[in-house]
Amino acid sequence: MVDTLRTDSLLYLDGVTVSFDGFRALNSLSLIVQRNELQAIIGPNGAGKTTMMDIITGKTKPDTGEVYFEGSVDLTKKDETEIANMGIGRKFQKPTVFESHTVWDNVELALKKPRGVFSGLFYTRDTADTDRIAEILDIVRLTHRKNEYAANLSHGQKQWLEIGMLLAQDPKLMLVDEPVAGMTDAETIETSKLLADIAKTRSVVVVEHDMSFVRDLDCRVTCLAEGAVLAQGSLEHVSADPLVIERYLGR
Amino acid sequence: MRTAHPFRLFLVTILVAILAGLSSGARAQTVSEIVPTMADTNLRGLAAAVEALAATGEPQAVAVLEALGAGNLYETADGGIYIRAGSGPIRDAATGETAEGVAPGDLKLIRINNSLRRDIRAAIGNLTLLSDDANVRLRAAREMFGTADPANIELLDEALAEETNPSVRTVMEQARAAAILKTDVSEEEFAAAVAVIAARGDRQALGILNSNLANASEIERVNIEAGIARINQALALQGIGQNVWYGISLGSVLLLAAIGLAITFGVMGVINMAHGEMVMIGAYVTFVVQEIIRTTNPGLFDYSLAIAVPAAFLITGLIGVGIERGIIRWLYGRPLETLLATWGLSLVIQQGVRTIFGATNRDVGNPSYMSGAFEFFGIALTWNRFWIVIFALVVFALLLLVLNKTPLGLQMRAVTQNRRMASAMGIRTPWIDAMTFGLGSGVAGLAGVALSQIDNVSPNLGQGYIIDSFMVVVFGGVGNLWGTLVGAMTLGIANKFLEPYAGAVLAKIVILVLIILFIQRRPRGLFALKGRAVEQ
Amino acid sequence: MITAAILRALDKKAIWVISILLLAAILVPLSNLMLPVGHPLRVPNYLVPLMGKYLSYAMLALALDLIWGYCGILSLGHGAFFALGGYAMGVYLMRQIGTRGVYAHPELPDFMVFLGWPELPWYWLGMDQFWFAAIMVMLVPGILAFVFGWFAFRSRVTGVYLSIITQAMTFALMLAFFRNDMGFGGNNGLTDFRDILGTPIAAPTTRAILFAATAIALALSFLVCSMIVKSKLGKVMVAVRDAESRTRFIGYRVENVKLLAFTVSAVIAGIAGALYVPQVGIINPGEFAPANSIEVVIWAAVGGRGTLIGPIIGAIIVNVGKSYFTAALPDFWLFALGGLFIFVTLFLPKGVVGLFTSVWNAIQARRASSSAQKGVGPAPGPETDFPITTESDAGNAQPKTNPAE
Repeated sequence: MVDTLRTDSLLYLDGVTVSFDGFRALNSLSLIVQRNELQAIIGPNGAGKTTMMDIITGKTKPDTGEVYFEGSVDLTKKDETEIANMGIGRKFQKPTVFESHTVWDNVELALKKPRGVFSGLFYTRDTADTDRIAEILDIVRLTHRKNEYAANLSHGQKQWLEIGMLLAQDPKLMLVDEPVAGMTDAETIETSKLLADIAKTRSVVVVEHDMSFVRDLDCRVTCLAEGAVLAQGSLEHVSADPLVIERYLGR
Repeated sequence: MRTAHPFRLFLVTILVAILAGLSSGARAQTVSEIVPTMADTNLRGLAAAVEALAATGEPQAVAVLEALGAGNLYETADGGIYIRAGSGPIRDAATGETAEGVAPGDLKLIRINNSLRRDIRAAIGNLTLLSDDANVRLRAAREMFGTADPANIELLDEALAEETNPSVRTVMEQARAAAILKTDVSEEEFAAAVAVIAARGDRQALGILNSNLANASEIERVNIEAGIARINQALALQGIGQNVWYGISLGSVLLLAAIGLAITFGVMGVINMAHGEMVMIGAYVTFVVQEIIRTTNPGLFDYSLAIAVPAAFLITGLIGVGIERGIIRWLYGRPLETLLATWGLSLVIQQGVRTIFGATNRDVGNPSYMSGAFEFFGIALTWNRFWIVIFALVVFALLLLVLNKTPLGLQMRAVTQNRRMASAMGIRTPWIDAMTFGLGSGVAGLAGVALSQIDNVSPNLGQGYIIDSFMVVVFGGVGNLWGTLVGAMTLGIANKFLEPYAGAVLAKIVILVLIILFIQRRPRGLFALKGRAVEQ
Repeated sequence: MITAAILRALDKKAIWVISILLLAAILVPLSNLMLPVGHPLRVPNYLVPLMGKYLSYAMLALALDLIWGYCGILSLGHGAFFALGGYAMGVYLMRQIGTRGVYAHPELPDFMVFLGWPELPWYWLGMDQFWFAAIMVMLVPGILAFVFGWFAFRSRVTGVYLSIITQAMTFALMLAFFRNDMGFGGNNGLTDFRDILGTPIAAPTTRAILFAATAIALALSFLVCSMIVKSKLGKVMVAVRDAESRTRFIGYRVENVKLLAFTVSAVIAGIAGALYVPQVGIINPGEFAPANSIEVVIWAAVGGRGTLIGPIIGAIIVNVGKSYFTAALPDFWLFALGGLFIFVTLFLPKGVVGLFTSVWNAIQARRASSSAQKGVGPAPGPETDFPITTESDAGNAQPKTNPAE
């Protein structure tokens, strides 16, 4: 049973525990992300959401527990670069774009291409690449600012640029940490549409505090607290859970 | 001398002081009165002189008696009595001073017989082994250990019967054992003697055992070799002890130099390349304080360091605050730029000191309690190094106290952990930054006072320590004073243990390479904190 | 592919720099050798090796800026690569002395005879061949940088930690080279050179050719650096500088990027050192002194880091100043140098080139606004290649941790 669960899933976490100097950031966390699934993760501060992403992307190694990608790849044995190249993209809580590069260059750097040092040295952009970058900039609505330094973008625009860079990476799994922080309501709605759209062809995991945004996503919701799963299911189901109300949502 | 047990020495010193006071009373006859009676006399006259000499209790009496017993005592035609060992210098028997204008040809040996020889030995024993002065007894016993003459066994036995001072007793037993090895005794007795000597565990004991190895029987040889092995082990242990001490001594110097850096680097994340120059300024403050004392009140010289310590702390601390306000605060969040700017500052300070005080070394004196050396379980310790170790530990303890128990320390830690939150809670973060930097620099000044006692005070003083200090901080782990302590001691001891094998320069290179490798294994040092907080 | 990369490297500015350097490589020797002594346009004899020295320093600064300005690796030990290249050249030059040493030994240099060495150590073998020495000039610094970088970057030693261990590296090398047993002349280093490639080293022609070689080497280094910087790899380097972990999460092998830049940089520094030694006539362990390496950083900073022209200009400005001050006001020099460090970091973070660029941009902007009224609007493009954003050293920021724990 467990094996089919694992092999069928895109991402499979089981019993993942990690502590920092005695503090248990994750406490036997188990989580499954299916292929082409959009999943939202909610939970109070310190619930382990960012640590979970650190584990998946190889930034932190778990003390115990299993982390498998596509059913067979053990992510605990890989580093960030390998994991990124296997098709897991990540957007950080604080938008991190390359500020001294132009918007265009940011996307070009993220574009799915050989990542080797020498292929970088001799890379020349072809028309297909140009078209793809232009297309992505169009999707994230930054075409008009493509020649500007990313440092000059507004907070919301940086969020979008980062999503654009994720798209350029063409990952199988996108981990998106608080994508709508600093966005207007209109932008938030746009973002939820965009993510839902993206999730048609790949899996997306969204960590978010904004409940109306999570409602807009209309997907499976997992609530984390104290490093473990508290509840899982539709938003209605999760938000009706008495434990969730007590620990996170409040009465 | 190196065999002295410190505690024993201490006791002996006290005893000598007391006995010197007691024995300053009068005696009937002095050596200088007795010696002339030995000229042109017969054996009976000599016997009377021997007896009289034995009664004086003076050290010179022993010398005369030994000379007489060994056939080194001569008389001249004009009634002078002289001591001459072999073809050595001719000495006046009464005073022990070199006698001028006495030709070797004029000397006529004073002859004795066996019965007188026994008397002499007994007299010497009385003067030395049975002296009231424990110090004299100890010296005599040591001497007998060195000569290991079987003829002394009887005397030693006699003395042992009465001896109550445990440390003197030990040496007497050892002397007796050494003498016994040269006689024909039973296996058990021989083994016991070897054991007594081996228990001494020093090079002299090793020498005695080795000298007996040549003409020992098969069984005796086994015994002796076991004894030698025991001594070598003890000596090796002593060598390790000595190295550990040198290491601790170096480590405490490193600790002093690095701990201020650990505060500025660890707490503030600021690299202060001018830290070594703060140390240098501290040393120059000591120099200036001593100069002022020399010219105004030389009697206060022993207190010069006590004055220099607060002066150096205040001056370098104020300079540190000035640096923070003037330069560093504009560069927060840009550690590499801070590094460059403070490096520039270090050049300016060095050149400034060179302009004011000259490029040559300045002479900083050691107060009396910082000079000399003492021995501790066979390990030689110099007082200045000893006090610096104590000083380093005191500074370390005080810093821990300041950081953990004072409001300033609490605020410093608060700013370290969350600057914005601390600021929101009403902590004046700029003030805390300035104080932290001032504290770090002040501690560097303290290090300078200590270093002025063991190193050349020159404008380049600080440069010699800056790389080592960084190594200590980086090795120990940033933001952890205990790490700095462990780092400094580890590096100091490792350095001193490598030196005998590799030489000082190569040892240093090896240490540097090891640290480079170590940092690559643990980029955040020995005592690094883990977790998300570190990354953010 | 390579042509494309070279063409990309040769933008307007690069063509200017390379042309000027090549022109200098031709004109300075010509003027020195062809014009009669006393001619106003003649470059005097003493100036030729001096200028050559400045250009080799410029190469070193360029090498440093490739990793510092573009990749965020502040090496405080780049003087070590320079000195190793210099020593490799020095060993070659020592072996050219032959029997003309004091002891007239056919094989051993004077100091080895003096120390009573029976034969050349193995690492001196083959160094009498110029081609072999030339390879060593690049290989030794390159391999050291590769091994050092491989360990350091793989373990993710960054920021000030990396700076400090590079400093420790050069310090350790300095101590090692001070030792006589090392076989490089100990304290005195290598000196009293006679010939290079069969020509007397002090002859004006040799000096002129050495200058030309240095100018050409600098031009080529500039081209190589420009190739790297203008390529996508160069953009990745800047990405690493600004947000190292983000670059990693995009899928780039940050350590490989750094390693390549570091190694290339060390090789350029080694070549610079090899060109420096015959022109100044000596190499000794003092070249490894940490202070020297830090001085290189300030050359790059004065000129403007994050640009390729900046370090060249900075190295020349600072060293001309140094030559002047150490002769005229020797006591003043360290004040000036120290003050320069502080001034540049506080008030001129983008260096002379940055200052020039912002003045230039201001003029352009004014002109643009006045011409915009006439209806002509040129698009003011960014002038510096990759601006140094002063707040973005986040990747280098120290972890602030609790001292009390």
